[in-house]
Amino acid sequence: MLRASHSLGVIFFPAYDWSISPTHPEREERLLYTQDQFREEGVFDIEGIGEYRPLVASPEDIARVHFCFPSVEAVTTHSHHISAGGAIRAAGLVLDKERERAFAIVRPPGHHAMRCVHGSRGFCNINIEAIMVEWIRERMGNVRVAIVDTDCHHGDGTQDIYWHDPDTLFISLHQDGRTLYPGTGFPAECGGPKALGRTINIPLPPRTSDAGYLMAVEGIVKPILDHFKPDIIINSAGQDNHYSDPITNMNFTAQGYARLTELLGPHIAVLEGGYAIKGALPYVNLGIALALAGVDYSAVREPDLDPERIREHQSTLDYIKALCDHLPQVYFEPTQREEVEREGRFFVRRRSIFYDTDGITENQIERLRDCPYCPGWLHVESASDRVPKSLGIHVPIQGCDNCVDEADALFRKAQADSSFAHVQLIDRVRKRIRHAR
Amino acid sequence: MHIGIDVGGTHTDGVLIKEGRVMAAAKEPTDGDLLTTITSVLRKLTAEAQGHAISSVNLSTTLSTNAIVTGTTEPVAVFAIPGPGIRAENYRIGDPFIVLPGAIDHRGTVTGRLRERDVAPHLAACKAANITAYAVVGKFSTRNPEHELFVADLLRPQAQVISLGHRVAEQLNFGRRVATAYFNSAAWRAFHRFAHALEGALAELGVQTEVNIVKADGGTMPLALAREIPVQSIFSGPAASVMGILAAAPQSEDAIVLDIGGTTTDIALLLDGTPLLERDGITLAGHPTLVRALQVTSIALGGDSVVRFEGGAFRVGPDRLGPCMAAGGPAPALMDAVNVLGYAHYADTERSMAGIRELAMRQGSSVRECARQIVDTAMGILSRAVGEFLALVNSRPVYTIQEILQERRLTPKQVLLIGGPAKALAPLVETALELPALVPPHSPVANAIGACLTRPTQGVVLTVDTARGRFTAPGLGIMKTVPRTYTLEQAVAEARALLSAELTRQGIRAHADDIHVLQAESFNMVENNVTIGRNIRVRCQLRPGVLTTLAA
Ligand SMILES: [Zn+2]
Ligand SMILES: [Zn+2]
Repeated sequence: MLRASHSLGVIFFPAYDWSISPTHPEREERLLYTQDQFREEGVFDIEGIGEYRPLVASPEDIARVHFCFPSVEAVTTHSHHISAGGAIRAAGLVLDKERERAFAIVRPPGHHAMRCVHGSRGFCNINIEAIMVEWIRERMGNVRVAIVDTDCHHGDGTQDIYWHDPDTLFISLHQDGRTLYPGTGFPAECGGPKALGRTINIPLPPRTSDAGYLMAVEGIVKPILDHFKPDIIINSAGQDNHYSDPITNMNFTAQGYARLTELLGPHIAVLEGGYAIKGALPYVNLGIALALAGVDYSAVREPDLDPERIREHQSTLDYIKALCDHLPQVYFEPTQREEVEREGRFFVRRRSIFYDTDGITENQIERLRDCPYCPGWLHVESASDRVPKSLGIHVPIQGCDNCVDEADALFRKAQADSSFAHVQLIDRVRKRIRHAR
Repeated sequence: MHIGIDVGGTHTDGVLIKEGRVMAAAKEPTDGDLLTTITSVLRKLTAEAQGHAISSVNLSTTLSTNAIVTGTTEPVAVFAIPGPGIRAENYRIGDPFIVLPGAIDHRGTVTGRLRERDVAPHLAACKAANITAYAVVGKFSTRNPEHELFVADLLRPQAQVISLGHRVAEQLNFGRRVATAYFNSAAWRAFHRFAHALEGALAELGVQTEVNIVKADGGTMPLALAREIPVQSIFSGPAASVMGILAAAPQSEDAIVLDIGGTTTDIALLLDGTPLLERDGITLAGHPTLVRALQVTSIALGGDSVVRFEGGAFRVGPDRLGPCMAAGGPAPALMDAVNVLGYAHYADTERSMAGIRELAMRQGSSVRECARQIVDTAMGILSRAVGEFLALVNSRPVYTIQEILQERRLTPKQVLLIGGPAKALAPLVETALELPALVPPHSPVANAIGACLTRPTQGVVLTVDTARGRFTAPGLGIMKTVPRTYTLEQAVAEARALLSAELTRQGIRAHADDIHVLQAESFNMVENNVTIGRNIRVRCQLRPGVLTTLAA
């Protein structure tokens, strides 16, 4: 009988009673064939692989990460609480040492959800990886975390949440933003002024296949990961780089995904996108699960695979080779690449964010305290078509006493300020979440 | 009048039941020739029938299990058609184990060709090796059996038995289906000889009646069906006992069932009064199969579990050094402590007292105190095991938001006990599990009563792909075309009708209300933003249950 060399917990939650709309890619059918494949392959008969139910994330688990305007309830449904709960369950299995690794095959996804949430962007409402990471830190303190996002789309939500955090390394590999939603994720985006080089973006040319993708992983991701020495490695395991995915243009295969997983060796993998539900997901999910468990995956291949047809051009490989030569500098020799606006003791970012799934536009002004002792507390003024100007205040887990006090003072003041429709405080130092209005 | 016989490892029990009353019981040691033992029990029971007609003989037998476990099976050639996925080599069983090309995907679409010339050389080799028993199993054959059927047609001229994956088990799980089909062919001839001899023995006794074989899922199947799928008759013992309890003390709520023996206790659970089944199936000779079975946990604790005083504490079990001291054994056992406390007056209680006294002297406590600690230790083992089992069952994965939000936890309201020490231990179990305990009447022959009164279980699994108009009910060998407008409601109605017809064909009487729909799901299949059809899955089952309950 087969035996896992790394024990693996799988949280499989297909949400067979939830969809964005009947024909939306994010619909009931999405994980149906993956479940068929797992059952037929007897994945849970492999010694060392077990299946678990998700937990249900509490409103507090979500409010620990996000400013949900007007409220957590208003921007989430049960499905979101359960998919975040699936990721939390995965983390719990690894933290409690019940399993060495875990794979949360859950939906809906989360990596486009940013710190402020007014609705759904790129099928995501809340960031299930960030909710999981902060759940871990709530228990373990400030562990060093690396999140490697291998979804075909730039993980702009996760990037936003960890933009100012020097203890979270966020690496996103994705199809070049000039050719795909959300249109961001360029190497110059490399972290806020207090966390330079902790955000790494690796845009890949359309039609990149296994050789090019794995070259980027070995040439850029691996050396950085090895140097950062994270306590926990998380893979946002989107599967839409697949050659048959209907909404992207990459040429990655199930074998490629399995090899990628083997190279990264994540403690926790969380499913993100992937919409070739019949021809890709069953094989990619199987490949990832076997690779996580350290079980031979060499015979996992798509029935219609023709490696010659999807092989990348030499020019693509040359381009990626060049990326491998200079992109690691973003991490090893971080420099401020984008102009940073200042207002006194604060760094300022002004942004307009579009929620494509819900058709909402949000305008925000983010201010980060330039603190000599810690990464600094943050406050965000945010307004959208749905919610009038509101305020979110965030004190990072590394926050110093001074930052805690300043944030607290602003929260008190803002409570009395009727120009804000909602005021929310996340104080990770004192583990406080406060909502005024 | 109905006869039920349970052939256990050490004893064979039989009962004769008329209109819900146990008219006679018989017990024989199971030794030597199985058929002789069964005939002897049958003779005793038919004599008690005093010429009244016997309307059924139900048999729970370890025969195929024994054949498989002791290796007295014949060579079986296994033809596997794995397609892409986990390497087929990992499921190697049988000799030879032949891996063929060809592939079918999760929707039943042929994605890899299988040609006669891929199979032909293996046919010749098997023929040369005088192999006549075969198993043919393809991945996703339950979605589309055409490759299995293709190989079977080629094998037929040289085969005596061919077990096809999609016929031995309808559930998904390729590796388990390979093992199940292999064991079915391996046990086939031995079972046939036995069935033939049994019919001869019945004729000799002048009994002309239907014969049913008990399955591990607590149901029965007619002998004719058992001849096709003998693998389903394995490990039916625990199921027979649980069904016997349900005949004697029908339940409608969640409950725990304990079958306490000399060295082990089997734990089963009832959900709304119906026994809980394993998700997949039992493991046989180290190979997981798709043979459906009641979910039973066994712990090493029984009346004869030896008691030791070690490192300042008592240990009960896991082994047995003989019977308890009261019954002439060499060392004090759990039953001796129960005797000392006065919960039982079993055999020579003075010997129990002497045995426990010696332990008490070593511990430096009174005999009663010592016996109390021993019993508490044993009950601790039991309640921990029950707690873990319940936790396991209550954490089973679910796949819809509704199920997560409306969590149905199994919460026992009652504990039912059978087995030798059941009566004596009942008050202790009641306290330990904090649940009312009941020892049903006729508890010593619950296994035979269960065999006698349990009714058939039979299921139908069907999948429909309306985009291709494909309808598959693999267990019944049905593949047909349906219109694109075919609905979930039609599928459920058809599954019910197919199951009813199949039951009638097998001579099984059942009400329409006895058929339960376990799964009825329909998924929109979308391609290029357009709904091209529906993927429908329906499972119906005649659940485990008893034909009649025993009169009070
Ligand atoms: Zn994506
Ligand atoms: Zn500070």
